[in-house]
Amino acid sequence: MSIDPRTDDAALVSAGLRLTRRELLARSGMGLAALALEEMLPGATARAGQSLGDTLHPLAPKQPHFPAKARHVIHLFMNGGPSQVDTFDPKPALEKYAGQELPTGNLQTERKTGAAFPSPFKFQKYGQSGIEVSELFPHVAENIDDIAVIRSMVADIPNHEPSLLLMNCGEARLPRPSMGSWLTYGLGSENQNLPGFVAMCPGGLPIQGAQNWQSAFLPGIHQGTYLDTQHTEVEKLIEHIRGRLPVERQRRQLDLLQAFNREHLERSQGDLQLEARIQSFELAYRMQSEAADAFDVSREPQHVLDLYGPGTQARQMLIARRLIERGVRFVQVWHGAQQPWDSHTDIGDHQKLARECDQAIGALLKDLKQRGLLDETLVIWGGEFGRTPTVELPNPLIGNAKVHGRDHNHYGFSMWLAGGGVKGGIVHGATDEFGFKAVEKPVHVHDLHATLLWLLGLDHERFTFPYAGRDFRLTDVHGHVVRELIA
Amino acid sequence: MERALLFGVCVLLAAASAARAEDPQPQGAETVTAAQAEFFERQVRPILAENCFSCHGQKKQHSGLRLDSRSRLLEGGENGAVVDLKNPGESRLLRAIGYDDAELQMPPDPPGKLPEPAIATLRRWIEQGAPWPEETLASRSAQQRAWKTHWAFAPVRRPPVPQVQRGDWPRSPIDRFVLARLEAEGMSPGEPADRATLIRRATYDLIGLPPGEEEVAAFVSDPAPEAFDKVVDRLLDSPHYGQRWGRYWLDVARYADTKGYVRLQEERRFHYAYTYRDYVVRAFNQDLPYDRFLVEQLAADQLPLGDDQGALAALGFLTLGRQFTSNPHDIIDDRIDVVTRGLLGLTVTCARCHDHKYDPIPTADYYSLYGVFASSEESIVPPLIGKPPGDPASQAFQQEFETRQWSLEEYEQQQYAILLDTFRARSVDYLVKAIEGREPPQQPLPMGHDALRQWIVERWIDTIERTDERHPVFGPWHAFSALKPSEFEVGAATILAKWTTPAGDDQPVQINAAIKNRLIAHPSKSMADVARAYGELFAQVHERWRTLTASTTAAAGSALARLPEESEEALRRVLYAPDGPVAVSRQEALAQYLYDAPINDEVMKRRNAVNQHLANTAQAPPRAHTLVEHPLPYDPRIFVRGNPTRPGNRVPRQFLQALSGEHRRPFAVGSGRLELAQAVASRDNPLTARVLVNRVWGYHFGAGLVRTPSNFGLRGQPPTHPELLDYLAARFMDEGWSIKKLHRWIMLSGTYQQSSRDRADQRTRDPENRLLWKMNRRRLDIEALRDSLLMAAGRLDLSLGGPSIDVTLPTANRRTIYGLIDRQGLPGMLPTFDFASPDTHSPERYTTTVPQQALFLMNGPLAAEWTRSFVQRADVKDLADPSQRVARMVAIAWGRSPTQREKQWALEFIERDQAANSGGDALSAWEAFAQTLLLANEFSYVD
Repeated sequence: MSIDPRTDDAALVSAGLRLTRRELLARSGMGLAALALEEMLPGATARAGQSLGDTLHPLAPKQPHFPAKARHVIHLFMNGGPSQVDTFDPKPALEKYAGQELPTGNLQTERKTGAAFPSPFKFQKYGQSGIEVSELFPHVAENIDDIAVIRSMVADIPNHEPSLLLMNCGEARLPRPSMGSWLTYGLGSENQNLPGFVAMCPGGLPIQGAQNWQSAFLPGIHQGTYLDTQHTEVEKLIEHIRGRLPVERQRRQLDLLQAFNREHLERSQGDLQLEARIQSFELAYRMQSEAADAFDVSREPQHVLDLYGPGTQARQMLIARRLIERGVRFVQVWHGAQQPWDSHTDIGDHQKLARECDQAIGALLKDLKQRGLLDETLVIWGGEFGRTPTVELPNPLIGNAKVHGRDHNHYGFSMWLAGGGVKGGIVHGATDEFGFKAVEKPVHVHDLHATLLWLLGLDHERFTFPYAGRDFRLTDVHGHVVRELIA
Repeated sequence: MERALLFGVCVLLAAASAARAEDPQPQGAETVTAAQAEFFERQVRPILAENCFSCHGQKKQHSGLRLDSRSRLLEGGENGAVVDLKNPGESRLLRAIGYDDAELQMPPDPPGKLPEPAIATLRRWIEQGAPWPEETLASRSAQQRAWKTHWAFAPVRRPPVPQVQRGDWPRSPIDRFVLARLEAEGMSPGEPADRATLIRRATYDLIGLPPGEEEVAAFVSDPAPEAFDKVVDRLLDSPHYGQRWGRYWLDVARYADTKGYVRLQEERRFHYAYTYRDYVVRAFNQDLPYDRFLVEQLAADQLPLGDDQGALAALGFLTLGRQFTSNPHDIIDDRIDVVTRGLLGLTVTCARCHDHKYDPIPTADYYSLYGVFASSEESIVPPLIGKPPGDPASQAFQQEFETRQWSLEEYEQQQYAILLDTFRARSVDYLVKAIEGREPPQQPLPMGHDALRQWIVERWIDTIERTDERHPVFGPWHAFSALKPSEFEVGAATILAKWTTPAGDDQPVQINAAIKNRLIAHPSKSMADVARAYGELFAQVHERWRTLTASTTAAAGSALARLPEESEEALRRVLYAPDGPVAVSRQEALAQYLYDAPINDEVMKRRNAVNQHLANTAQAPPRAHTLVEHPLPYDPRIFVRGNPTRPGNRVPRQFLQALSGEHRRPFAVGSGRLELAQAVASRDNPLTARVLVNRVWGYHFGAGLVRTPSNFGLRGQPPTHPELLDYLAARFMDEGWSIKKLHRWIMLSGTYQQSSRDRADQRTRDPENRLLWKMNRRRLDIEALRDSLLMAAGRLDLSLGGPSIDVTLPTANRRTIYGLIDRQGLPGMLPTFDFASPDTHSPERYTTTVPQQALFLMNGPLAAEWTRSFVQRADVKDLADPSQRVARMVAIAWGRSPTQREKQWALEFIERDQAANSGGDALSAWEAFAQTLLLANEFSYVD
């Protein structure tokens, strides 16, 4: 029969049904319905891009386009914008011009900046590769041979809001899905008892709030699950993880529920969506113990706790590792609420911030490596942009009287990648003599996204979602995979 | 004779364009492979279009060079060939883009050298022989043919009702269309649903709640043939109908109570969003004709509303979108989107940067609509739409409101006048800055007194760009700005010499005398000198005008007021024009931080004082987030590739070409918003009724006849039953655009009244039920689910209207439609249960089934609260006999009696669980049982 030759979802559905409903249920109940990505993605779409598989098991693991190097991502978001010339991009030439105008002039950023402002922090070489890192990140630097430092990152605008959205969603203003949403949509997650995309930020939300992990036009289940990691008890960390019934009573309650549901199912002559909902209660039941376990860092042995050190950042990093270990696809770790790295007034603040997280990040990399997880986990470090190599001029209107800080800088900044198929111990690209603008091998945020998707086995040009008359991509119409970063 | 001549010309033109279009690849690369074509279209053409065409394209040909087709590229320009196919690496074009040569650097700065990957791409392309897949005449006409024959653009005509074999089955014309399709496929419709199922389906469909037990009983035992008609009529008359269907419309309208992300102290709430929501509910309850409903939502401010200004709230459809930190282009984009996808099923915003790839929507059409929306803005204080009650509390409220508003008005108006004067007085600074050109838009920040506002710089550039070399005031500006800096003095002298020699025929333009004299008296050495000369004159004229209007008291507002000197008056008119260089509205002045920072803060503070009073006072009478027209409508220009710093050709404000036919005329009245509304709500519009009928169908069946409900373009899905869609659309319009009638037609059909029973033989042929061989089983959406849970708990508050509430509070008992929608923080339960994202227009909801939903219902504090109330209901608690109590609870939750088995399981569970219950905070055994009933699939699905 010819119902609608323009779609092939009918074929997919009947293929699903041919498995027999119970078979599919048995397989997908534990999330093993590994339907090929090509089938799950556009082409095989029914309602607004949803296939039946998406509807019933949106987080079932799916095959990428080609073999992936990485299976998980940890994104360490230094929100506010860490300064490149104080961390991973040494610029001795700034010393020469200290207190003077740069011979090349200042680029226009958000606020007015003045003279060259050399870093107050010392750099030294680390590892076999001899890459220079500042004294702010000694623990990270110990892992430098596993790290690819990108010194030529480029974004579009020197304002937080659009740059945060660009970094997370590939579009500076309009509502678009975030990286983590795209990945759980495309690849599902490997543990159905935990959310596939977790965003952690202690003490409140970053600027732009939940838009940073929005699913936009993708189904809501792909939105990041937010955890306020200032809390230590699992009930406060994750919503609805404990109820008002002890586990044994709840089990008996669910048994009664499923007895009712089975009767109802019989009367309805079987139905995939009813069966999926029956399963969802079993998943939820298991999630309670699994999540409690995943978020309880006190179960770690003392030497591991010591490795990460004290404090909130250490707890976040440890949770990140525990989630990745359990198959969560994308974990985003924010430094803190608002924009902690936004050192307009005093770059000395960078020291305090780095002290909070350096040991924990260094420990995370070591720990992942020891467990053999670094190979399959891409770790990304960076902010939404960098900072100017020139000093920000005082502006009483916005309460900045001290002259010891730096303004936002999207023309050139540093990020680093580690693990997940990335070449270690390399520096990619360069900024100009003073660290203002990327001049060698610039890597735009879209290029970073294209590369990230490639490492996870997805071709950023083919990985699309049909919406509002267009096939949308994380990289929109931009982006090039940066092959030199890939091992 | 004349006709024959015309015909001849047409043939010639056609032949010429055919020759051009076929444009053979003259040398090398004669054939373009598919891979080359893809490489060109995806990578090369965007670089050329973005960076080269503005100077070397259809409009301008700097150095006589065009780069917008292969033959022109190979032709080269005044300075010879730019591509050398024999030695591609030597091509001048590659030297220019590589910046190898100090004299020849393209693109010039700004924007400056291309990024390395782009250069590499162009190099690779030239080295391949510059393969360029020409769009052939054939492919273009194929596209045009597709547009012409596309079903959705064809006029809506009422098709004949088809003949069917099983003449006894159809109850209505709808059934004949459906049955004809089924019979053609050798399939058959399902059995009718039983009455209990049917009334539950109808009640959820129309009012979003389960039927009462008595209602079920009455219907099941009603022998009248029109028993179901009565049920449908009763439900359509219920005030709760509007609460259900109004919410569907709010998905279309991307309704929210907040603006999305806002900065600094900006107001984040739309305090009166609720009046739009209530307007929508009322419109559905009153069955306001859909065409009128649309016109009110797009242009209520321009309708004669009489005493009842309530319809002004309808404009919330446009105004309640995300505010994108006050970026006007994105706000307008969102409005174009909600109108075109929401009402017309067309994806017009695809044309923001380039012509629509699939549909007949050129970029020009996007900017025609852009112009309509750019010609209005929100009112500063939302106007009243109801009469405030006269009681003392209301009077006190009103008094305080007036005090605060007066304090705002007095201060803001004064500061606003000072601000505009400051801009005019600083004409020199702004014009000197304007020479540097446009800048990419940045988020505005609080500014000091001396800093120039880029916003004003851009308005000066707009003003200048609206003129050309023949303009009396700016003609000389254009002449001077065409000079190269290195040759400025020589060129300037030549221009001046021309002016001072007696006027010849080559000087048709009368240059403004003041400008001319000033430029002659002070010869300019650079463009900056010219800008200063202009600026000084403007500032001087401004000063004269101030003196004049200060001394002649009444003259200021008088249209007759003018400066005595003609040439100065001409300058003044430029400076004071309603679309001139300082024509910013009060809204813009604040949103774009044009005031000095302390003043901006003060204005914001006083506005917030008004807003807070409105928001926090129960007596605040309702107001509407309306639009007001600018005094002078905005004449839109196409932004090249969507970039507002690159304004291109002007376009009129007018409706879409694809829907206007040959009779398209520019809008004539003001912004044209009312004309736009009328064009949308027209009987001749082929899309509006089809789109609405399809949405209503989709809400009744779980899927529309067109399964892409907001995309009826060429990439959307075609209707499963095109004639049925047209039949309903035509009848809908013919019978007064009544949505309630539409419900009746649908619900009284046999198609709607089918059972949802599976039939394996039908399923294998049509697994998605596109042909409607059964009713679809549907899960309750979050509104119906939460409302039903509250109802089972005996707590549901069914009242209508009023300010939004926080649904996360345990005390929140109102229907879900009244929950506050905060774009920056949706209550978790909403996205968990597939609520429509309020960020943009939402075509339909997803249905996902995930454990987070189960956790909310099993463990959430709200679920526990409702469960406790369920057991505390008097009609439950007062039943001492456990068996009776179980039966009662099943009846409340599932609308039926338990089976013997179910009752037995329940009693066993309760008994065991009572023994296991150790008390404390835990649910009691009865509560655990009650919760089980609410968790069951039977509670959450409608058959």
